[in-house]
Amino acid sequence: MYDILQIQEILPQRFPFLLIDRVIELEPGKKVVAVKNVTINEQFFSGHFPGKPVMPGVLIIEAMAQSSIMLFCEKAKELHHTKYTYYLGSAKVRFRRPVTPGDQLKITVIPRKMISTLAIVEAKVEVGDNLVAEGELSFAAKAEV
Amino acid sequence: MQPEVLEKEIRDIIAQVIEKDPQEVLPEARFYEDLGVDSMMALEILAAIEKKYKIAIPEEKLAELRTLKETVGVARQYLNEKEG
Repeated sequence: MYDILQIQEILPQRFPFLLIDRVIELEPGKKVVAVKNVTINEQFFSGHFPGKPVMPGVLIIEAMAQSSIMLFCEKAKELHHTKYTYYLGSAKVRFRRPVTPGDQLKITVIPRKMISTLAIVEAKVEVGDNLVAEGELSFAAKAEV
Repeated sequence: MQPEVLEKEIRDIIAQVIEKDPQEVLPEARFYEDLGVDSMMALEILAAIEKKYKIAIPEEKLAELRTLKETVGVARQYLNEKEG
């Protein structure tokens, strides 16, 4: 539904910190489902951990946060000339299973409360039928002046 | 609902969100100046109240949540509307 080029029109993040590859479902302000393919070529695997590649949990949170930004996509497009910066305010996340090379993360985000510049969302990450992480994030979207 | 019960419940919600002791959340204590609340915490307080009482409080009201007393007032207003 949104390929990586369209995602880059909305998300300010870039290599090596763009952590979603595709958006497969999107109802602006209501729901986002995004996909992240995890491969052994990810830079972080060389250090986390040598000989035992496990995706860092904080980067799973980052993937949740980037998926969440897509909720604001209509506004971001509408105000294309305004640059937005997104700040994570809090994250309460529980990790259920490790993520390893070859996993495809399916990230589902549903807002619990969203206003024009702030949002509290519930996010879950699955690999196949298995839940790997779930939690709640809050973040702010600030226009740069 | 009894006014004291509503105030106590909302005080507990606020204390939980801002990670302070409920006793510190005095009715007239100012969220931003006295309690260190920021805009994100204010939204979390609003969302928690909406969830608990199954009410919807519009975005404009966020600016009116400056003390426990005012927050209870706003919650009461929307609870009354809900109950007719």
